[in-house]
Formats: sequence, structure tokens, C-alpha cells
Amino acid sequence: MTTQVDVGRDVLQDNTRDAQANRELFARAGIYVLNLMSGAGAGKTTLLERTVGALNGRMRLAVIAGDLETRRDADRIGRHGVPVVQINTGGACHIEAHQIAKAAAQFELSEFDLLIIENVGNLVCPAEFDLGEHDKVMMLSCTEGHDKPAKYPLMFRESRAMLLSKMDLLPHTNFDVDAAIADARALNPGIEVIKLSALTGEGLSAWFDWIKSRINAARG
Amino acid sequence: MNAGRSPPGGPMHEVAVAQRMVEIALRAADENGGGRVVAARLLLGKLTCVDPETLDFAFGVATRGTLAEGCKLEIVRIPARLRCGSCGSEHERELLEPCPMCGAVGGEVLAGRELRLDTIDLEEAKTAASRFIQGEATGGSL
Repeated sequence: MTTQVDVGRDVLQDNTRDAQANRELFARAGIYVLNLMSGAGAGKTTLLERTVGALNGRMRLAVIAGDLETRRDADRIGRHGVPVVQINTGGACHIEAHQIAKAAAQFELSEFDLLIIENVGNLVCPAEFDLGEHDKVMMLSCTEGHDKPAKYPLMFRESRAMLLSKMDLLPHTNFDVDAAIADARALNPGIEVIKLSALTGEGLSAWFDWIKSRINAARG
Repeated sequence: MNAGRSPPGGPMHEVAVAQRMVEIALRAADENGGGRVVAARLLLGKLTCVDPETLDFAFGVATRGTLAEGCKLEIVRIPARLRCGSCGSEHERELLEPCPMCGAVGGEVLAGRELRLDTIDLEEAKTAASRFIQGEATGGSL
């Protein structure tokens, strides 16, 4: 004989609870937290190297780098003199909130203005997992194709800003900038768009200004 | 190198989702007198990035060696339902599909983000025991 039991529980409830605890922790410490997401190879680490290089000294920042197996990203960013904690997801495609709590415990959070989380390179999964961050930012490189917002709508819907990267390569691609922006805005009317190239420096000052404005907004 | 550690097509968060489902199912079973979990129903919104087939496979793996081993998983897909940001009408439609009333795209998501363990079916401990005894008595064959 079997009996049916009503469960009615959100499968990701533990992550949601952990994310909420992170959010409260970040608020108490007065630190602004940004979750940077993209597909693999969009250029997150290169952009972070440029970002950290430019902002270090002007503000106090720290990085949590997610990677499937290696320490390479953390080593590249750490060379710029900022504290970096590596999360190895052991093959998992995303970072979860409890991993952020553990990594963040290695910093004295109140001593920092900005914490950047470099998520695992993946356009699908990270969007499902709230980390307690202030903003999600997603990065789309013009070598990936302008159909990505339509194919992976969730990440574009959840993000406050979309960075269109590798703009120096745009002339060599058939990437339709207007179509990508139109689809992203259809999914998320408020999404801000910054076109940049970490290689040539195009658009980087707009990106740095955006971060600063968001830090100020978080401080209210 | 740990080549081949990720399944073909890239690493999957379905594994993490399946593990959470098993934890929740076992906890619910425990809170309701225990016993084997023989069936589970999941509400899965079409806007989530969870692939049902991969999840079904991952769930089978995640239940191994637990009281939910062999549990039948029913996945109920919930279509996206949006309230139009322009005219306010509510329809089942995709995120990038225009509103059938006014043609505007997007809007507020009313349904489609579900990832919810709805029910589980428990085989009562007593029943499982008597089935075992019966099986023993008849030699366990048909």
C-alpha cells in the first residue's frame, strides 16, 4: 500500500536560504557584490584582469573565481595584487550560494568596497542559482552569435547589464549588435548594454563607471 | 587532466538538482512515518534551464543506495504564462513571443519558473515488510 504525501517544496530552497544569508552578510559588511556570468571563452578572466588592474588602488576589491578544475583564473587575477579565492566546482557547471559563503569567510568583507564573483563559464546553469549578489552581469562576446539571448533567455532576463565583448573582432564576424540588443531588451527592458574590448580598451571606462555607480547605489 | 569527467554536451546542473530532490523527498518521507519512496512528482516550469531527460537520469543515479532507489519520477511541465507589460492581458506564451492582444513582447512571468517537488508516494514500512516476507515464502518468483 502506498500513501501520497504533499511536499510542495522548492527544490532549490536551500540555495535560496543560503543566498539570503549571504545578502544579509554583504549588507552588514557594506560591500557591493557583482556576479559575472558568461559562456565559456567570452573573456571573463581577461576583462577581470583589466578591471582589477584599473580599479585596484582606487577602491578596495576582492575576487572569487569559479573554475571547473584549475587555479589558472585565480592566478591570472591574483597577479594584479588583489586577494582572490578560488572555488573549484569539481566539474559542476555553476557556483552555489553555500560555496560563496565559505569563500567569503576568507576575506574581512567590511574592509572591501567591491567583491566580484567570476562564475563558471556557462550560459545556462549559473542563472538558476541566486548567490546573494547585488547584481548579475552577463557577458556575450561577438564571436558567440547574436542569437544567444533568444536561446538562453533566463540569463539575459536576470542580468542588470549585458557586456558585449571582443568588439575589436566585430568586423570579422556576422554578429548583429542591434539584433542582440533588441532581443535582450525584449527579455529585460531595463538591461543596460556596454560594448567593450578588453584587448583594445574600448568601452572599459564606461564599464568602470558603471561599477562605481552601482557601488554608490548599493550604499544608498 | 580529468578528461571525461563532464558528461557529453557539458557539465550538468541537473545532477545538483536531482541530489536536492532526493534530500527533500527523504526528509519528507522521514517526517511522514518513513518507508520507501516509490514515486515522486516534480513541477518543472518551461522557463527553467533544467532538461527533463537529463534530470530523470540524474535522479535515478542520485537515489541509488537510498530509500528512494528505483523511485518513479513524474515530471509535469508547466508552460510559461506572462502578464503583458503593455496591455496587462495574461497568456501562455514564450518570453520572446508577442502578446496576442497587443503585440508587445515580454512582461511579468506568472508561471514557468517552477522547480518544485509536489508529491511523493510512500510505501509504508509495514507493506514493504509483508511484501518481503511474502516474496520469501513464494521463493520470490512469479
